[in-house]
Amino acid sequence: MIDREVAESLAAAASDVLETMFFCSVLGEVPVGAALPEAVAARLPFNGARSGAFGVRLTEGAAQVIAAGFLAEEANEPTREQVAEVVCELANMMCGSVLSRLDRGAHFDLGSPALVEPAALSAPGTVCRAFDIGDGEVAVFLRMDDPA
Amino acid sequence: MAYRVMIVDDSPSMRAFVRRVIDLSGFQMDTCLNAGNGIQGLALLQQQTVDIILTDINMPEMNGEEFLRQLEAHEQYRSIPVVVISTDATENRMHRMLHLGAKGYIAKPFSPEALRGELERVLGVTT
Repeated sequence: MIDREVAESLAAAASDVLETMFFCSVLGEVPVGAALPEAVAARLPFNGARSGAFGVRLTEGAAQVIAAGFLAEEANEPTREQVAEVVCELANMMCGSVLSRLDRGAHFDLGSPALVEPAALSAPGTVCRAFDIGDGEVAVFLRMDDPA
Repeated sequence: MAYRVMIVDDSPSMRAFVRRVIDLSGFQMDTCLNAGNGIQGLALLQQQTVDIILTDINMPEMNGEEFLRQLEAHEQYRSIPVVVISTDATENRMHRMLHLGAKGYIAKPFSPEALRGELERVLGVTT
């Protein structure tokens, strides 16, 4: 599987999930920068036809907006716990969407998403893309292990 | 007719989101019950009746697959239609859940229209 196919699937899944489930638009792609200290990141492992890990990293502003959109919290700012839960849910949805785009006929088992240090997502061999959603950036990371 | 719906998902945020999407879709919902996993779902069914169940797959204590098996094993629950909501859009997973007794399957992300369409298809609602 070539990186371009993976990268295109990452972009399509990110746009689809963010717009349909989190009510925010992807304004464009941006270079993947270094993780800011206040960024929020989540990762989950997957196994099956291929194994690896999928992660998302959001700037603080993007995480707040996405959590508010998902929770419909217009008056109240989402709590840290709510933001964390929504970022994990975002990672889960995007991972499922990416893997099914890469191989719809395959079988995958997704692990449980968990918050991680943002820098932990940038492992060697990881394909990543980042997107501007107006109030911040959402970066997505996919690492596929070599087939045994 | 308005329907009694039960949402089974371990994420409170996801349960609230699904309920909101159902409201936005215009689906006629009378009551919405919430459960955090299959065990809680079965316990609720002992106290309340529902017309349709929406369930996640990956949940602690009793996941969606075991929940479907338990519903099939109990004659009084077997007729309640179940729609699986999952991040897993692969055909293998969908076929597996339908084989276990689910009547519908919707993959995230989904639009309000898609969710309403699946609920009405499973319930046999004609417009």
